[in-house]
Amino acid sequence: MKRVLITGLGMISPLGADKASSFAGALQARSAIRPAPPSIAERLPQVLVAPAAAEPDQLLDKKFGGLDRATQFALVAAQEAMLDAGIAAPPDDAARFGVFAGIGFGGAHTMDKLYARHFEAVHASGQGSRSPTVLHPLSVPRMMSNAPAAAVSMHYGLRGASNTYCVACASSAVAIGEALRAIRHGYLDAAIVLGTEAMLTPGTLMAWNALRVMAKPDPVDASRSCRPFALHRSGFVLGEGAAALVLESEARAHQRQARVLAELSGYGCSSDAEHLTAPTVLGQVAAMRQALEEAQLAPQDVQYLNAHGTATDAGDVTETQSIHAVWGASARQLAVSSTKALHGHLIGAGGAMEFALSVMAMNSGSLPPTAHLDQPDPRCDLDFIPLQARHDCDVRAVMSNSFAFGGSNASLIARRPAP
Amino acid sequence: MLENIIKDYLINMAEVDPEKFKQPGLTVADLQLDSLGLLEMLFEVEDKYGFQIPEPMRFLSMSFAEMVADIEASVRAHHNGQMPALDAAQAGG
Repeated sequence: MKRVLITGLGMISPLGADKASSFAGALQARSAIRPAPPSIAERLPQVLVAPAAAEPDQLLDKKFGGLDRATQFALVAAQEAMLDAGIAAPPDDAARFGVFAGIGFGGAHTMDKLYARHFEAVHASGQGSRSPTVLHPLSVPRMMSNAPAAAVSMHYGLRGASNTYCVACASSAVAIGEALRAIRHGYLDAAIVLGTEAMLTPGTLMAWNALRVMAKPDPVDASRSCRPFALHRSGFVLGEGAAALVLESEARAHQRQARVLAELSGYGCSSDAEHLTAPTVLGQVAAMRQALEEAQLAPQDVQYLNAHGTATDAGDVTETQSIHAVWGASARQLAVSSTKALHGHLIGAGGAMEFALSVMAMNSGSLPPTAHLDQPDPRCDLDFIPLQARHDCDVRAVMSNSFAFGGSNASLIARRPAP
Repeated sequence: MLENIIKDYLINMAEVDPEKFKQPGLTVADLQLDSLGLLEMLFEVEDKYGFQIPEPMRFLSMSFAEMVADIEASVRAHHNGQMPALDAAQAGG
């Protein structure tokens, strides 16, 4: 089986407009969570959001101005990742270079605007009113879920498979894992993996609000409202943004003498087959054990785990139990954190962003904390790196978990590249 | 006015060379728009005048002047024979 290496990373997130500032924000425990803007707060005054640190269209050529926000985020992250990897477009082996994307909701902004425009016209009256059926002709190609993958494939001239995975909160973790398999088994030599999501719209947030999983605002400081593994946690906050990773076979990376960030060494995925939203230990354990087996690592060989850690009651307790089940007596030696306390839940982008942060943690030896964890839930009894980052750590392998509504579980492992 | 709306869109958004509009007998085909590009151009008019222009692909075989005249006839047909003042048309929508 071929080794697969990570040679480029890119990111635009609530914590920063690039990977360096996003990772710095995670280490500094700088929360990007805040009250929703007036267009949303008008009807949902309690709702919190974690908006991206920059407007994506400001970082792109103006020809991308009409694309959905999720596609723009993907293009920004891809731009940084391709530059980071030192890959010129189109690559000579374009037919062997794929695009793997993960997204949860597709073009939520385009869809929200489409319905808003339609119903405004329906309710408008009088001479000269616009027909409710006059909509932008590119509404469909803008809101389709594979629009980000298509845009990146076309922009960089990548002619290998361009596949999009829609697996709710695990979307981009699955995209990374499937790209790993495609390269490992020889279907491709390289791929750019995208995780992207942009759904901070009035319509989408009303739907999330109805599900009763959103964090209640902290009465003193709204930025402290998402508290994974804490006693008084109340749910998550939706974020937006994108992350991108360039993956290459070891042979391709060595041939062009690429700088290697990490080896993508393990991927596990499973289904709970139990409940639409409630997680299970069995499914999560299966995903983590598969990833360890593929990476040929014992649990004790992993020093840091970026938890799914959404700050829901059931989610955090179940994940704690699952980690205990896999790590056994050594569970408390593992450093675990949920960075969602700071950047919110990026749904389809979450897996890629958190895995990228994990790789940066391994390479820097600095582990981002679980912010706002003043009072841990006694049922969540692991080393969650509370409140402050931990530096000068010897980290040789990291895991990132992404567990989705619908019962889909994905775990990824990166390790330091072999010398 | 209608002609300017279309020209402005083509020059500013679709990157059509402004020199082309000096060419006598300019055809729609000369603009080198693909089918999506043609629809985006028509949406500039549809959005402002509030209705969907039928059978867009027929424009591909017309001259630019014929297309503008045809679209103007459609606008008038939807507005009691008038070309509505644009601010009023936009405010209505």
